[in-house]
Amino acid sequence: MSLTLRELQAAFAAHIVADDRPELIAAVAGDSIPAAARLRVYRHHVFHSLGVALAATFPTVQAVVGEAFFAAMARGFVVATLPVQPVLAEYGAEFPAFIDAHAPARGLPYLGDVARLDWALNIAFHTSLAGRLGAADLAGIAVEQLPSMVLALAPGTVLVRSAYPIDRIWAAAQPGASGDAVDLAAGSVGLLVLRRPDDAGFVALGEGEAAFVAAMAQGQTLEVAAGAAFGADASFDMAGAFARLLGIGALAAMQQ
Amino acid sequence: MPPVAGIGLRAPHLAEITRDRPATGFLEIHAENYLAGSPALLTVERLRADYTFSIHAVGLSLGSADGLDEAHLARVASLVERLQPAHVSDHLSWSVTGGRYLSDLLPLPYTEEALEVVVSNVGRLQEALGRRVLVENPSCYLAFTHSTLSEPEFLSELVRRSGCGLLLDANNLHVTAHNLRLDPGDWLASLPGEAIGEYHLAGHATNDADGRPILIDDHGSRVSDDVWRLFADVVRRFGPRPTLIEWDTDIPPLSVLLEEAARVAHAS
Repeated sequence: MSLTLRELQAAFAAHIVADDRPELIAAVAGDSIPAAARLRVYRHHVFHSLGVALAATFPTVQAVVGEAFFAAMARGFVVATLPVQPVLAEYGAEFPAFIDAHAPARGLPYLGDVARLDWALNIAFHTSLAGRLGAADLAGIAVEQLPSMVLALAPGTVLVRSAYPIDRIWAAAQPGASGDAVDLAAGSVGLLVLRRPDDAGFVALGEGEAAFVAAMAQGQTLEVAAGAAFGADASFDMAGAFARLLGIGALAAMQQ
Repeated sequence: MPPVAGIGLRAPHLAEITRDRPATGFLEIHAENYLAGSPALLTVERLRADYTFSIHAVGLSLGSADGLDEAHLARVASLVERLQPAHVSDHLSWSVTGGRYLSDLLPLPYTEEALEVVVSNVGRLQEALGRRVLVENPSCYLAFTHSTLSEPEFLSELVRRSGCGLLLDANNLHVTAHNLRLDPGDWLASLPGEAIGEYHLAGHATNDADGRPILIDDHGSRVSDDVWRLFADVVRRFGPRPTLIEWDTDIPPLSVLLEEAARVAHAS
């Protein structure tokens, strides 16, 4: 009995990401070139194309670890987590957590956070610039209304926090960077990743600003967010932080 | 679309094409590169004033026994609605099983069972898009022992039962014919030429498979002389069609793609 199409496709997928499947090899004509060698062409291409997609989405991770290390790590991820749909720019959400648990990367404890930054930049890049709050939108709002207002972060705007200076690691990984070593003891960061007119980028937030944005991201009122910010940094400059967030387009336009 | 030569629109060339608007018959985009809210989609929309577009999908998985992914289909349909391309195409292959996408154009057994699956999936696609689509012959690295139809017989039946058109990729035919020891002339003789809506041309590489050469469809070089000769035979048999130069890896300067496209008119 030959395999049904569904059986054949399940066996093919298993053969590619796991061990050779004898029933699949038996179903492949192997004349001048053995069946297993023919199947290897497909296996190679699946890992290669998904590895290339991951490298495009996580360029800083690849720059930090090098192509060979990255390819091996990507292969492990592909085996564990195939895409669930064909838009490869949306593949890799689970890669940072995979890296956290990836034993060969244990000596690079910041690598998972670098991947989180790459992923956030990827998400921001694929977000429309539309729907951002501007200063003019606030013109008609009375000052006393502000504390009870809830403002959302603009689409694609994400706060990435790390115990490591991943902004400096990112900068050192850019083409043409100085090559100077990054001091990992430089401390923790809160980076606000967002869509800009021509690309995606990030700004480093102070501790108060990061607490303010984190509370807003959780849907808290401006009053509660400000309380969190002052808790994190007694010298938090509320007006300055708000103006800055508005200026970089980090806030979503209000729902009508 | 008239039988002009076009090129694949690839990210490294987007700025140059936007700035210089070089003459070319049409531009083809990969659907899956424009579904994630890519800002490049806005650029493509602006280019529509000056160029005819075609949309080539690589992820619909027309050969999946599980049927089409309706969520993905809806996104492709929305893109087609937005860009109103001259052609929409995907491949005679599968990529999805059990909800997992394998990111390759995987081979089908050419059986009655698989034919019914592909006919059903192409029917669903055409229904969702409200238009006829073109189905492309894939590059094959293997054949299944339980196939009962040849590839052109399978494609002929698919055309007859689903009403789809065909996209004939001369490079894929060359690669498949070499790897599976087929005669491209016999293959072409069994194909319903009137169903062909578009031709593709691309480069391939030669790899080693246990000591034997196997041709790999990598879209990473100029169209080979062998493929130009095969293409000349195709055009003599079926007549000219819109013809695309595809190049996806080691992408060269735009001028190289335009040079290759300029050869198409003189191929036969």
